Amino acid sequence: MRFLVKKRLLLLALVFSTMLACACGNNHKASNLTVDKERIIIGFSQVGAESDWRYANTNSMKEALSLSNGYELIFDDGQQKQSNQITAIRKFIQQEVDYIVLAPVTESGWDTVLQEAKDANIPVILVDRMVDVKDDSLFTCWVGSDFELEAKKVTAWLKQYCDNEEINPEEVHIVNIQGNIGASAQIGRTKGIEDACKEYGWDLVDEVCGDFTQAKGREVMKEFLKQYDNINVVYCENDNEAFGAIEAIEDAGIKVGSDIKNGEIMVLSFDGVNKTALEYVKEGKISCIGECNPDHGPRVRSIIDTLHMGGKPEKLQYVNESLFVSGSNITSLIVDGQVYPITEITDEE
Amino acid sequence: MKKLSEKLRSLSDSNLLLTITVVVFFLMYIGAMIFEGGGFLKVQTFFNILNANAYLIILSCGMSIVMICGGIDISVGGVTALVCMSCAVYLDFHNGNVFVAVLLAIAIGLAFGLVQGFLVAYLDIQPFIVTLAGMFFARGMTTIVNTKPFNVENEAFVALKNARIEVPGMGYYNKAGNYVAAYVEIGVIVALIIVALMFFLLKKTKLGRAFYAVGGNAQSALMLGINVKRTRFLSQVLCGLLAGIGGFVYFLHVGSGASTHAAGAEMNAIASSIIGGTMLTGGVGNIIGTFFGVLSLATIQNIVSSAGLDQAWWTGITIAAMLCIFLIIQSVVIARKKKSVKK
Amino acid sequence: MSKDKSNGSQFWNKIKRSQMLIPLAALLIMVIFNLIADPSFFAIKLGYSSAGYPVLSGYLMTILDCGSELAILAIGMTLVTAACGGQDISVGATIAVGGSVMLRVLCGGNSHPETMQAPIIVAFIVGALATMALGAFNGVLVAKFKIQPMVATLILFTAGRSIAAWVNNNELPIIKDVEFTYFGGFIPGIPIPTPFFIALGCGIIIFLVLKFTNLGLYTQAVGINESSSKLNGLNPDFIKFLSFVILGLCVAVAALIKVSRLSTINYSVIAKDIEMDAILAVALGGNKLSGGKFNMGASILGAYVIQFLTTTLYKFDVPSDALPAYKAIVVIALVVMSAPSVREKLQSIKKSLSSKKVSKEVA
Repeated sequence: MRFLVKKRLLLLALVFSTMLACACGNNHKASNLTVDKERIIIGFSQVGAESDWRYANTNSMKEALSLSNGYELIFDDGQQKQSNQITAIRKFIQQEVDYIVLAPVTESGWDTVLQEAKDANIPVILVDRMVDVKDDSLFTCWVGSDFELEAKKVTAWLKQYCDNEEINPEEVHIVNIQGNIGASAQIGRTKGIEDACKEYGWDLVDEVCGDFTQAKGREVMKEFLKQYDNINVVYCENDNEAFGAIEAIEDAGIKVGSDIKNGEIMVLSFDGVNKTALEYVKEGKISCIGECNPDHGPRVRSIIDTLHMGGKPEKLQYVNESLFVSGSNITSLIVDGQVYPITEITDEE
Repeated sequence: MKKLSEKLRSLSDSNLLLTITVVVFFLMYIGAMIFEGGGFLKVQTFFNILNANAYLIILSCGMSIVMICGGIDISVGGVTALVCMSCAVYLDFHNGNVFVAVLLAIAIGLAFGLVQGFLVAYLDIQPFIVTLAGMFFARGMTTIVNTKPFNVENEAFVALKNARIEVPGMGYYNKAGNYVAAYVEIGVIVALIIVALMFFLLKKTKLGRAFYAVGGNAQSALMLGINVKRTRFLSQVLCGLLAGIGGFVYFLHVGSGASTHAAGAEMNAIASSIIGGTMLTGGVGNIIGTFFGVLSLATIQNIVSSAGLDQAWWTGITIAAMLCIFLIIQSVVIARKKKSVKK
Repeated sequence: MSKDKSNGSQFWNKIKRSQMLIPLAALLIMVIFNLIADPSFFAIKLGYSSAGYPVLSGYLMTILDCGSELAILAIGMTLVTAACGGQDISVGATIAVGGSVMLRVLCGGNSHPETMQAPIIVAFIVGALATMALGAFNGVLVAKFKIQPMVATLILFTAGRSIAAWVNNNELPIIKDVEFTYFGGFIPGIPIPTPFFIALGCGIIIFLVLKFTNLGLYTQAVGINESSSKLNGLNPDFIKFLSFVILGLCVAVAALIKVSRLSTINYSVIAKDIEMDAILAVALGGNKLSGGKFNMGASILGAYVIQFLTTTLYKFDVPSDALPAYKAIVVIALVVMSAPSVREKLQSIKKSLSSKKVSKEVA
């Protein structure tokens, strides 16, 4: 009986291999067919759906590169793992997409797979985070935010605020709830606060990773409050962490707000994509948010259109970003000699 | 038709389950070729599945063996992560050489296998709870070894990682006119060798038959003069060893250390073994089935993500559905066996 | 313990024989360890919440607070373990589903509503129905199809979080209503965290059920010997099924606490690894993981002991990711101590020691 099974297996294997052979033979025809189609096929490997910012970012891409606009977007959710994203890019190469859009989960470790994409002559457009590769011809363009600049703006605001309120730099005790270690946003924003603390003489009490999530942000803040009793500024590397931190602070019976001279804890944050965060700014729960614009879709679309026409888009493209605050009398900031606007959140909005 | 059903009935459980798995896999793949087209028509898509899942094939081989022997090992994913992190730290921070890193990986796997095997076999503690603790320990140790995830830059290692075996004649010209070669990574070769070795071990050696006997019925195995404790111990050790090797293959594929590496790999390995026709009750199983189990699991993931079901949740749901179907088939097979015994 | 000395020794003997010994001993060791290392561990502070209500805080409160959902899960897990001789590894994932369903009902389609769109009790009932249905699914696989519990629940373990994300279309709903935070936080005016009261309530209910119904007896009978319980007129399939449905209800309660704590949900993180902790609680309570006799009180105590351990480790700056390594060592120590062969050996050593003593005295 076993012999029979083996025979059947052999048969199946035979069928399979003939089909494979046919498939290989047909390849040229198939590829010709896809060229005839007008539609541009784009493979998009997204990090995951860990925060509101990411959700907004995904939606922006899906809207801009929709079928009705003449694009076919193949979306792949990497679920926060680099290995998933690498697998996805290899899949895109096999599917012969015209462009690959990648939002990398971490900065390093992309050389091999991007080289494969380059060998297959598929342009790669990076969004949001940067990659750290030896040869930067491995990607065509990058669209995203200048995370360090965001952090510089927020810290400059804090500096200005402290000057206005006449708060000594030694009295500013900051804790930093970091994002996913190794992500560009975390690196830029952490560098921003560390540099600022050195420069302005603030006391950076502690730094712990909060994974960009509300749950972890709350947990980390709870521990901070237990360990240190002098914290008066919380620097959260995204809004979701800030929500968690605010909950933890309020649970401990402390008020959040800008009035740090009277025992309130000031919350600084980044992103500003969801309504709740802006609401919190209006209520004064979050004192200042460095905007991180998730609306990458239109930019990516214009890059793809330029590339398709045979043009050469600019390599690094920063999106415009502002600061969201309310009720502080600071109207504009100067960072590195350049003036940046501030968006006051008021009731009319 | 009648002939076929008769033939099917006369098959043994193990072969029947194997046949089902193989048929399902080919149907699925051929279906994907017809309905999805695109990537599935290319050999490289299949090779990519192999490349990305070589480690899982190795882990699942180990898992099948403990399961055949009536045990379980849920520490394999944790061991994989620990191996990656330890080797990464050794290679990059201590400027180590790759050969020693391989030994390190094997040693870690073996250590887990030995300790868990001892606790399970000689102290008679439930394998589930022992390996659960093993998983906790391995995951925790990974972060103790190093918290931050990082990519290895050791040159010798990177060269090995990027080494690939190109299969001539299987590549194709893409629409931009570039030749895209078909290749497999070294890990795949390792995985195939291990599949062959384990197949031989289970079918042709005394130890292999002892695994089946102990898993099928420990008491009668004891009466047959098999050293049950030692057999159990060895199955657990073998699984640990394969987890070490699988861990290194994974490391070779991703080239980085991170505490989240291979999260859920133990569950995927169990699922692959079950889909491949290994029964958790022990005594029934087949390495070839396990191999196809891994391929089926990977193929369905690939199909789901290519089919435009782009939300991440679909993968989880389809794998679970597949597992559910195979489990029910198994339970029906057992029921059938019981009936025929009664007759 | 008891102040009366004659009663005390009797009490001590009783404890020695009962399953309470292991969790109590573990608890005692940790208490002593903390007393020596840092007595401030036991300090309880009275603070005020942002709304001005009195709130107790301190490590002990954290244990009472966070250990509660574990205790609730341990109740269901004990029953499943006793009846089926296996464990449910899908509880973490089903908590995600339950929580997701509750939030979906409360939000009514819009992910950031201004007010709750349905009363909390309705949301809880719908969520409980969902988790009980999932429990029933597990129960059918185990009871009808005779699949090992761990493998049967592997299905929902894999799919659960995906289903949870699907229920809410992968959005992260947020409930702003203060009322909703009571279940996982504090009820205004009561300084003790609410989860503790919920756990207490669940404990009392299960105590009464076990006392006044035959559930406990039947479950143990099925767990000890399925075929003989069948001969005695029990329906083992139904008992197994029931144990999974009860666990489903426990999961719903735990899910309510979990989502109420955060007023939102994170599908991949919520109640992560809680199944492992719940199984540990059962094991720590001295219950056989292969089914049969159980002691509910010991399991519940075991849950709090696990949380005690977690909190202690946190206090000593063990990062949350490294936590499992230490837990594993404790678990291995515990199971090795309670392994029958080790116990026998220890007893024989004891005997030989005491016989030596006796022989010395005689000499």
